[in-house]
Amino acid sequence: MTSLNRRDFLRALGLSGSASALAACGLDNNQYITPIESVLPYVVKPDQVTPGTYTFFATTVTSGPSARSVTARHRDGRVTFVSHNPKAPGRPAVGTAPLLELQKHYSPDRISGARKGGEPVAWDAGVAALAEAMKAASAAGKRIAYLGGYRSGAIVGLLRAVCGDNAVFWEPLGYEAEALASQALFGARRLPYYGLDKAGYILSFGAPFLAGWGDANLEERWATARDPNADHRVARFALVAPLRDHTGATADDWYAAAPGTEAGVARAIALKVAQRTGRSDIAAIVGAVDVAAAAAAAGLSEGDLDAMAANLVDSDGVALPGGATGSVDLAVATYLINLALGSEARFNLGGYGGPIHTTDEVAALLDAADAGEIGVLLIDDLIDPVHALPPSLNAAARLAKADLVVSLSSHPSATQKVAGLVLPTAGALEDWGDENPLDGLFYLRQPAMTARLDVRSMGDILLAAAKAAGLAPQQNDPDGRDVFAAASWAAFLKDHWQQSLWRGNTDDSAWDGALIDGVWGAAHAVAPALVASGYPWATSAAVAGELVLLAGAHTLRGDGRYANQPWAQEVSDPLTGNAWSSWVELSEATAARLGVERFDIVTVKTAAGAVDVPVEPRKGLRDDVAYLAFGQGHTDTGRYADGYGANAATLFEAVQGGAWVPVAATVSPTGAKAPMITTMRSYSQTDEGRAFGVHVAADKLAKVGDAPSDHPGELTGIHHLELDPRLTAKGETYTAFYNPPDHPTYRFGMTVDVNACNGCNACVVACYAENNLAIVGPERLASGKHMAWLRVNRYWEEAGSKDDVKFVPMMCQHCGHAGCENVCPVLATYHNIDGLNAMVYNRCVGTRYCSNACPFSVRRFNYHTYSWPEPFQLMLNPDVSTRTMGVMEKCTFCVQRLRQTKSAWKDAEGLTAVVPDSQWQNTPACVEACPTRALTFGNRNDADARVSKLAQSGRTYEPLYELNVRSAVNYLAKANFHDDPSAHHGGGHGGGNHADAHGDDHGGDHAAGAAHDEGHGTAHGADHATEEHGKASPAEHGAH
Amino acid sequence: MHGTEDPNRPASFAAANRDIIRVLLKPSVGWAALFALSTAMMVWGGYNWYLQLVYGLGVAGYNPPVMWGIYIVTFVFWVGIGHAGTLISAILFLVRSKWRTGVYRASEAMTVFAVMTALLFPVLHLGRAWQVYWFFPYPNQRYLWMNFKSPLMWDVFAISTYFTVSAVFFFVGLVPDIAVVRDHSTGLVKKIYSVLALGWHGTLRQWHHYMAAYGFFAALAAPLVLSVHSVVSWDFAMAITAGWHSTIFPPYFVAGAIFSGCAMVITLMLPLSYAYDWKAYLNLWHFEQLAKMCLLTSGILTYAYTTEYFVGWYSQNPYEWQIFWWRATGEYAWAFWLMVFCNCVAPLPWYVRSMRTNPVVLFVISIFINIGMWFERFNIVISSLAHQFDPAVWTNYWPTAVEWGIMIGSFGWFGFWFLLFLQVLPAVAIAEIKELIAPPVKGGVEAK
Repeated sequence: MTSLNRRDFLRALGLSGSASALAACGLDNNQYITPIESVLPYVVKPDQVTPGTYTFFATTVTSGPSARSVTARHRDGRVTFVSHNPKAPGRPAVGTAPLLELQKHYSPDRISGARKGGEPVAWDAGVAALAEAMKAASAAGKRIAYLGGYRSGAIVGLLRAVCGDNAVFWEPLGYEAEALASQALFGARRLPYYGLDKAGYILSFGAPFLAGWGDANLEERWATARDPNADHRVARFALVAPLRDHTGATADDWYAAAPGTEAGVARAIALKVAQRTGRSDIAAIVGAVDVAAAAAAAGLSEGDLDAMAANLVDSDGVALPGGATGSVDLAVATYLINLALGSEARFNLGGYGGPIHTTDEVAALLDAADAGEIGVLLIDDLIDPVHALPPSLNAAARLAKADLVVSLSSHPSATQKVAGLVLPTAGALEDWGDENPLDGLFYLRQPAMTARLDVRSMGDILLAAAKAAGLAPQQNDPDGRDVFAAASWAAFLKDHWQQSLWRGNTDDSAWDGALIDGVWGAAHAVAPALVASGYPWATSAAVAGELVLLAGAHTLRGDGRYANQPWAQEVSDPLTGNAWSSWVELSEATAARLGVERFDIVTVKTAAGAVDVPVEPRKGLRDDVAYLAFGQGHTDTGRYADGYGANAATLFEAVQGGAWVPVAATVSPTGAKAPMITTMRSYSQTDEGRAFGVHVAADKLAKVGDAPSDHPGELTGIHHLELDPRLTAKGETYTAFYNPPDHPTYRFGMTVDVNACNGCNACVVACYAENNLAIVGPERLASGKHMAWLRVNRYWEEAGSKDDVKFVPMMCQHCGHAGCENVCPVLATYHNIDGLNAMVYNRCVGTRYCSNACPFSVRRFNYHTYSWPEPFQLMLNPDVSTRTMGVMEKCTFCVQRLRQTKSAWKDAEGLTAVVPDSQWQNTPACVEACPTRALTFGNRNDADARVSKLAQSGRTYEPLYELNVRSAVNYLAKANFHDDPSAHHGGGHGGGNHADAHGDDHGGDHAAGAAHDEGHGTAHGADHATEEHGKASPAEHGAH
Repeated sequence: MHGTEDPNRPASFAAANRDIIRVLLKPSVGWAALFALSTAMMVWGGYNWYLQLVYGLGVAGYNPPVMWGIYIVTFVFWVGIGHAGTLISAILFLVRSKWRTGVYRASEAMTVFAVMTALLFPVLHLGRAWQVYWFFPYPNQRYLWMNFKSPLMWDVFAISTYFTVSAVFFFVGLVPDIAVVRDHSTGLVKKIYSVLALGWHGTLRQWHHYMAAYGFFAALAAPLVLSVHSVVSWDFAMAITAGWHSTIFPPYFVAGAIFSGCAMVITLMLPLSYAYDWKAYLNLWHFEQLAKMCLLTSGILTYAYTTEYFVGWYSQNPYEWQIFWWRATGEYAWAFWLMVFCNCVAPLPWYVRSMRTNPVVLFVISIFINIGMWFERFNIVISSLAHQFDPAVWTNYWPTAVEWGIMIGSFGWFGFWFLLFLQVLPAVAIAEIKELIAPPVKGGVEAK
């Protein structure tokens, strides 16, 4: 062998290694990654790019009323995570939708380059074709129309300049009922602002406000209302709806109104509230209501309505409407309730003010297209009307009758298929723009990375086409500027901000500051001024039919816009765990009556159509109701959407008055069985009395809050098995066989607030994003082989009419005495000095013994080597290795982020400095994503850390405490209005919960607990033994 | 007392030699058919393992929290089978039990091959089977070391020790018999047997050393019979999983292993004694003794099953009790009741002497026991995991075609070796049989 000494060898290795790594980054269509020709350092380093380090851009991803300002984490040319922009209002948490937008950005189905008649054409030719069509349209006196999702800010001005009043902003599960109600009462289509955080009683008529409905911080304000520390009370949440969807599942009181009767109930309550608050003007608008008939039609008692009205008045109530499936009457009635309550802090008109169009207006647009009146129809990338509109509107055929349908979307869809011209637009992470989600609050959007594909800004396309067509703006800027004069969309946007928002402040430092902050202005209350003195109420009556079909948005897939995002398909549905499919939800009694079991395929048939879907029997539905989520059953949309599930929109006749009116349906078994594509494979609906989901009495909690207590967990009433004192003693007296682990500086831990968790799964999505978790797909999910490191357990607590759901996020508990660590034969998993249960992938041989020995069942195994189709691999977090076939993996508390935090602090403060609690607060991705701050992370060695204090709360508990695994994760019990578990000696919880877990002999108490529950659980709100609690809390006033 | 002496005796040393050696290296049609079947099963198993290596363990039915399936079930099954041989050859040798003579050689072979079969499973159930050498304490530059706290590590040592001792013990016992075969063969075959016979000439001095060595190995092997399955039981008992975490496991597992091993000896040797017309060496008297052994261990198992339930109920440990209740009433109840029937009820007819001396009954019940003992491990491994602590993750597991294929392959692998053994080595210990015969004297019949 010729001489190759060690140094030369290493040099060659380093060079070829880095060269191949860089070459790998330069794969053909990924030119946007900093192009590198040779292995040389930068002579002049590009601004904001340091290889291997992060740059953060404030931008805005989602649009319309739920627009969210985020911080995009950029490294080496690509964005790999989005987190909450700390400059934006609200707690630092990002939620699900922005992360799904991130994945949407990298969708492998996105198209690149313009297409005309299905054939690729040059961009110039594409834009020219659009310009010609515009020119021809304006010459022929035909309309240039636009149909798109909700957008606010500068783009609306541009669209109105091009299309005038023919710009239609519509979403299938939008806010048209609310907007129409607002128009009827206040004279303008604006959305209200709901100050849930100021409320002590939340009455919802079904709006999915924990699943993306409303403004981006509504969920967080709900959590604040529930937080016992905010004002030492826990807002009671009552639901009037035929079923408990994901949002309604967290309700304390469920009034199971018959479908279609909610408006009547709301109107009756409005009358009662108006009478109590003496608002005769409101009572006049409400008009004459037969309260008893309204209650009876809904299947409720008048006493129920009285209780609700009383709670609303006495406990700082707020009422929420029915969302997309509620009628305009319902929205009007809820507005009237809120007006009668008279609190501007809880209800005002400071919400979204962007344009909102109704389905009737979309139908009118279709009529115009049908009549040949439309020359150019532009359709944006937020909606897929061909998929989302009821079949009776015949959208595909009628849209195509426009002279030219232009799809301004890089995401394929059924609508794009009918478009003659496709001009793919830049996604939110690569475009300029702005949003105006609340009155006075403006979010900027800026490119956080270079465009990944050959796409252009919608603004640029419109400007170029309008200029080429020589169009005159149909509506000009209020200031009279020629909107088409702008050189580019970015210039247009800047000009809009400087001229319109800032009234001519052209100081570039202000603009730069706005770009850095991403936010300008502040939300403010707008007093609701009634312009109406009456309202033409329709008669409210229950929908006829043996079964009534209801539909709603899916927590993750929304109205279907995220259906092609594998995270939205794979991450489990909060209540059922189902994935990659559609399913019809029935009550357990109805399923039994029909003789169907879970995953039996049934035909759901309405007058409009029929679909075959699996059955999901569950608690929380009326027996006469069937529920099917929107947003599945796509065609021509992409590999993760097409063919999965069924399209609920095809079952609805027409959209009337801004709502998906419930329709009569039949459900008949087909005899076939669907694969069990779910993460919740257990037949058990409860925690089987094992103290996984625990509750405490809300009123008792209201007195003490979460302040550290001398008796942590005293409110939960849990009495664990007695542990051998030698096992629990600390320090030198410890006499177990092995010494306890030593944590000299850090003992990382978490608290999970079950009271704040509503099961939205944002944490799970964030975990997928941060830790490069594999998507396994429906076939493997059907055999239970999912990879989620973090799951949100759903436990129904059976307590008579007050079935309660607890969502309990379960991740690695980083036990001090871990079951998994001892059994690994090769020491691939071990306890580290920071208290982490560490996992060395490379050392793992795959015995899976650790998984069997984990009492929390949180470990996941790589059954295969999973791959990420191009270009998903670009979204992989470079700080986290991907795992190969045969190794175990699990939650690491995002150890890569812990390392970064430590390193940064060390650089700043010196080698020995201990990182303070403030630096840890949002470190793991799940904590960063949680919109309700249910997760708290920190160093439990630090007694002052928030995580340590919460662990001393009166409602703290540790599942499986009696196993002595010394978990690092504490759970905080849910506060609800059931019986007080701590009041019974021995902790016999109602409905059989917990008693068995305690092990010590409390059988008699347990029986007493159940009897107690029966005695007090019959009437809504009357579940407390008042003699035990003295003065009743305001929230339950109505019951006493 | 009935049954302390074999009623049948071979006629003479020469007859013993002839009867036992005549079957060697003369494959019959039946043997060839069985051998072909075993080989085919083995190849099928190998193909399925190949699939698993290429595509990963996703081809198996695992889903959390059930992360061990029928590979571990079958592993424990084969380790259990591997118990009877050493029990019979070593412990019964030490207590000078006479009935062991006819059956011990073949059961020892069964032991060695069963352990060889069992050893396949810890390797092929691994996510990364190619890294199996990381289980062994070999010096390496990365200072990687194993975790001696892990019961799996104990398994590595317990089973490898057991295998080594069993194999050596097996071979030592074979030496005088190989010499007999050598003396009766010619040509290349003779040369091979000469090497294997290690120069055995049956001198008094050789016999003196031999008997000392044999006794030593028997004494060494005897405690291993108890230890190896105790260690295997710790794979389960040392994990905190409810349904596994129990102090009763070691004796319970050892009794079960002896139970299944003795039943397997009946299953294998009963047909053998008829096929080779070996009634003089292996006959119903021997099988009756094995049946009695099974009765004893069946009783122990029945007691252990009852104790598990009693402790589950009496402890009021909700996790424990839930597992046992569900095991008997849930989705796997059929497996549980099959186990109870096969292990506790099916052997009961053997309390009647005519039943334990009827070859058909003996064979059928032994098959039941084999099935029952496989399902015992199925119940322990799978139903405990399927209902772990968190009710939200309860699930079911059912093996896939690949898992069944590999399991079938393991039977093929065992059959392959055992059938090969029948053709090349004396399946009955000639030397020990001769101890039962009046020694040939000068002028006697057939002194050749």
